[in-house]
Amino acid sequence: MLKLLESLASSSSTWIELRYHARHSKRLVVRNGRVEETSSSEQTGVGIRAFVDGAFGFASTSDLTRSGISRAADVARSAARAFAVAKRQRIERLARATLARGNFPLETEDPLQDHTLDEKLALIVRLERQVRNEHELVVSSAVSYEEMIDEKAIATSDGAAFTLHSTRPGLRILAVAGKEGKQAYFLETIGVTGGWSDLFRARQPEEQVRRAVRLAVDQLEASAPTGGVAQVILDPDLVSVLAHEAIGHNVEADIVLGGAATADKLNQRVASEKVTLRDSGMSVLKPNAVGLMPVDDEGIPNEGTTIIENGILRSYLHNRETAGHFDVAPTGNARANTYQDEPLVRMTNTYIEPGVTPLEEMVASMADGYLLRGFSQTGQADSNGEFMFGVKEAWRVQDGHQTELVRGVTISGNAFETLLSVDAVGDSFDWEYPAGYCGKGQAAKVDGGGPFIRCRLTIGGSQEGANG
Amino acid sequence: MGRGELLDRCQQAVRMTTDLGADQAEAYAESIDKLVARAEKSDLQIFKGQMETAIGVRAFIGGQCGFASTNRLDQLDAVCRDAIALARISPEDPHNVLPEPQEIAPIASLRDEAALTLTAESAIEYAASMLREAEKMDGRLIVNVASFNSSLRDSAVANSLGIGAEQSDSSFIYGVVATARDGDRVSNFDEQVCATRYIREIDVVRPVRRACENALASLDAEKGESFVGSVILAPGAVADILVRAVLFQISATNALNGSTRWKDSIGEAVAVAELTLLDDGHLDGGYASCAFDREGSPRRQLPLIEGGMLRAHIHNAYSSHATGAANTGNASGTAQSPPGIDTTNVIIAPGRQTSEALIADVEQGLLAQRFSGNVDPISGDFSGAVKAARLIRHGRLDRPVSGTMIAGNVFDILNHISGISSDREQILSQTLPFVRLENVSVSA
Repeated sequence: MLKLLESLASSSSTWIELRYHARHSKRLVVRNGRVEETSSSEQTGVGIRAFVDGAFGFASTSDLTRSGISRAADVARSAARAFAVAKRQRIERLARATLARGNFPLETEDPLQDHTLDEKLALIVRLERQVRNEHELVVSSAVSYEEMIDEKAIATSDGAAFTLHSTRPGLRILAVAGKEGKQAYFLETIGVTGGWSDLFRARQPEEQVRRAVRLAVDQLEASAPTGGVAQVILDPDLVSVLAHEAIGHNVEADIVLGGAATADKLNQRVASEKVTLRDSGMSVLKPNAVGLMPVDDEGIPNEGTTIIENGILRSYLHNRETAGHFDVAPTGNARANTYQDEPLVRMTNTYIEPGVTPLEEMVASMADGYLLRGFSQTGQADSNGEFMFGVKEAWRVQDGHQTELVRGVTISGNAFETLLSVDAVGDSFDWEYPAGYCGKGQAAKVDGGGPFIRCRLTIGGSQEGANG
Repeated sequence: MGRGELLDRCQQAVRMTTDLGADQAEAYAESIDKLVARAEKSDLQIFKGQMETAIGVRAFIGGQCGFASTNRLDQLDAVCRDAIALARISPEDPHNVLPEPQEIAPIASLRDEAALTLTAESAIEYAASMLREAEKMDGRLIVNVASFNSSLRDSAVANSLGIGAEQSDSSFIYGVVATARDGDRVSNFDEQVCATRYIREIDVVRPVRRACENALASLDAEKGESFVGSVILAPGAVADILVRAVLFQISATNALNGSTRWKDSIGEAVAVAELTLLDDGHLDGGYASCAFDREGSPRRQLPLIEGGMLRAHIHNAYSSHATGAANTGNASGTAQSPPGIDTTNVIIAPGRQTSEALIADVEQGLLAQRFSGNVDPISGDFSGAVKAARLIRHGRLDRPVSGTMIAGNVFDILNHISGISSDREQILSQTLPFVRLENVSVSA
């Protein structure tokens, strides 16, 4: 396929990018003792982007013949020409860069394909049974397994020609506990880029089941927090969400050009000097990050970008178009979800670098506040840096001791004010972006991580006398 | 690929799957032809043409069931074999059944024939006109995204019990995400999205004005106030908080899973008597309308909550067989996923007062256009930030506020609704009023 794409790209009269993408997905779901779903999906095609007269046009096709791809290329070129006429400001240039050539295979000692679906189904049947048997208050349970195998071949008319291969397995464990008409749930997610045993490298799934059940049950008795500004410790899971949703999107150069709060803030202080924040297509500090991507979909290597260095904003994230606009080198952040999508500026693995303070020390020196763990996968961040995220597990901390569990906690604030308030950065590190997916018009597998950090933000809770 | 050909392929896949050893089989196929014109950063960004046909096959062997899909229709044999292989590793479940054929009443008006001739230039012009409208309003506005999507879809379903149905439709989704910037002050973003089946109903000005007005208002927003009192949810916030939790409760899948409190509540009061909520999959021109569901069962109008009483759960063939309840024709999904259960066009019946009258009765309160937060549909607990919000004082809208959060429990507040507006808005497939709640916790 790469040879065919290279041949079509080299004979194009205009700049063109041809991306073959085959995605093979499998999904197994067991719920309440029943195998609810065993499914597989294949989605294969070629996405073509043409750049003509300062405008992009895009077309996609699942016809993989030379003539089918050529027809789609003509559609993309025509669309670009039509757009060039209507566009106010034409794109002056795409940034020049050394473009990738060769093969970029996934390196794993234990490929997913070496394990049968029977084996994978047997594991999740066993884990789901463990959820139900773990505690008498469990009223509902589900465990699901998903794997996504991507094969890409990409060629551009200015010289990129390479193949990429990745496999991404993931596991989700849901426990719902109930008592006296009240219900509470806990959802645990695990995901990696890698093979079968890589999925269980950081933690064993049986431990995750025990944790999910314990927290679902404990939440039944938990009280609601009192709303207001509080000192909090965020775990790596919440740090990853803050880094990705509240900071990361606001440094994607297309969002910056759209008027994000980070516009004109380069080389200014936006965070405490204890904070250094990076995005990297490589899996630094720990292996198997979900957003592992050594080369982006434009053929630019992604070896990492320092976004915030000791509190100072140093760089945005770019594709070739935005890098051309800002007259900087592209950072390798152009990504497309499926063959039907055009590459956008996207994060890969976004994280805060670890510091020096042990978690125990942060808790011991806290007079009144909360230790917050886990993102509940609800929330939103705004282009002015305001955010609101749900928290899975919130513990009250009083006089240096972790005391009671509280339920239904949300946190909100301005991301940059929150980072300016950071007074301690932990000495550990984990990849923990809980959903593994980012949505920005298209889905993308990403990761995030960091240490524990201590900061100040607003806790959402109740005022006295309210319903619920 | 056109309608007749799509149904032929489904019937072919059903025959192949049973010939390969399945007892029963089902195939669902969709062919979608899309045009997308997208503007970003207040300028046109990209134009896309997308065309894809996909087919999904379910194989049943006794009570075993497996599903496989592909967008390579030249590999029909492989996908049928995959579905059978997946069925063979699945344990028996007596409720894995296909629906029997029923009479399907057609909906004549879901495809706008004029859409067949919509050109790339027309789609680009819709996106460009959204940018011009924002520019006319205020120089501080930035259109982060303006997009116009046109979609022509053919779908077909067939099963080995004799179901064979097909439909064509068109849809147009357009919307805008806007922010405002004044010096160092940056507003919240505001997003407005509209959908219709007909070119004649496209009005790109309306979402642009609404998003821009909200973005501009939030530029001047200051910190709100903490109190317990009246909160009026605009239709967008009603969707975010109330509808989301209610729809979770009325899904038979969730009831079967034991994760709903309304599992055995049919016939019981779950809300104030003024609340009536319907699901209508057969609505003329409805954005989520189709004559048949993902399994080929007929869509219908179904009262879910009537006068505050829970009337029904929504079902597909599996949940209907498992519970003994009637199949309501709510099987959902695409050709690339096995059938689930979902609502279609969700409608809250209008109340007696206008939204202005609801505001006029409030001494101290808050009007929230959007909600960004946590809604736990199991416990009903919600907590999060309100967006494009304004204080209400002495019956009138007062200043815009930011950094304000509300919290409570959906199932409690369904019984503390003090007003539902007669005016409603359509948000994609939902038609929703303003809803006034009492004793809500507001934190700033």
